[in-house]
Amino acid sequence: MDILLPALVLGAIGFVLGLLINLVSKYFHVEEDSRIETIEAMLPKYNCGACGYAGCHDMAIGLLNKKAMVNQCKPIKQEAKEALMAHLDELFKAEKTSTNN
Amino acid sequence: MSISGLISLAFTAMIIENVILNQFLGICPFLGVSKKRSSAVGMGVAVVAVILLSGIITWSLYRFVLSPLKMEYMQTIVFILVIAALVQMVELILKKTSPALYKALGIYLPLITTNCAVLGVALINIRKDYNFAEMIVFSLFIPLGFLLVITIFSMLREKIDTAPVPKAFKGTPIALITAAILAMIFSRFGGLI
Repeated sequence: MDILLPALVLGAIGFVLGLLINLVSKYFHVEEDSRIETIEAMLPKYNCGACGYAGCHDMAIGLLNKKAMVNQCKPIKQEAKEALMAHLDELFKAEKTSTNN
Repeated sequence: MSISGLISLAFTAMIIENVILNQFLGICPFLGVSKKRSSAVGMGVAVVAVILLSGIITWSLYRFVLSPLKMEYMQTIVFILVIAALVQMVELILKKTSPALYKALGIYLPLITTNCAVLGVALINIRKDYNFAEMIVFSLFIPLGFLLVITIFSMLREKIDTAPVPKAFKGTPIALITAAILAMIFSRFGGLI
C-alpha cells in the first residue's frame, strides 16, 4: 500500500496533465501544410536531432523547403529512405508543372 | 507576513538575489537567447508565465496532495512532471498566438523544461515554507528579475556586436565576461536591505 499510493497519485497527476495538454493542443491547433505531415510520417520520428534540426518536424519543413537532404537523417532505414526520396521527387515535380502552367 | 515584508521579499527576489546573477540558475537561455533584444524579451515573458504558473501549481500540489499523504519525498518527480506539461502547453499556445516569437525562440522554448530556475523556484517555495502570498510574490518576482537581466544583457550584447572586440574574445567569451561584470554590479545591491 505504501508503494501503491504514490504510484497512483503520480499516475493521476500525469493523467490530468496529459488530458490538459490534449485539450490545449486541440484548442490551439495550428493548420499546417499537409505536405509537412506526410513527409514527417515517413521520417523515423525518433527526434534524435542527428540531422541538425530540432526534431523530425523541423527536418520535414527543411526537406520541403529543399534546405535539407534526406541523407542527413541517420537512423532512417534504406527502404524508407528510398520511399521518401521518391515521394519528394514527385512533390517537387508536381510543383514545377503547376508553376509552369 | 506584512505588506512591507512582501515588498522586501519582492525586491530581494528580483534584484538582490537575482536568479541569474546571484543564484546562477537559468544560465542556458540567458546566454542562448540574448543575442537579440526582441527574442530575449519574449523568452523572459515566457519564463515569467511558466514560473508563475508552475509555482502556483506545484505549491498547491505539495500543500494539498503530497503533504497530507506524507509523500513529500515525491516532490522532485511531481514538480518535473508539472513543469514539463506546462512548458508543452505554453509552446502550443505560443505557436498559435505568436508564430514569430515561436520561431525566434526555437529550441530554447522546449528547453524551458530544463531551465533550472523553474524547478529551483518550485523547490525554494517549499523549502522556505512560504505561505500563499509569499509564494505568489516570490514566483512572480524571481522571473521578473530574469526578464530584467536578460533584457539588459541582450541590449549590452547588441552593443558589443558593433564594438571592436579582440578576436580571441569574440562571441561567448566576451558575453561571459560581460555577464560577470553585470553580476558584480548586481552584487552591490546586497547592502540595500
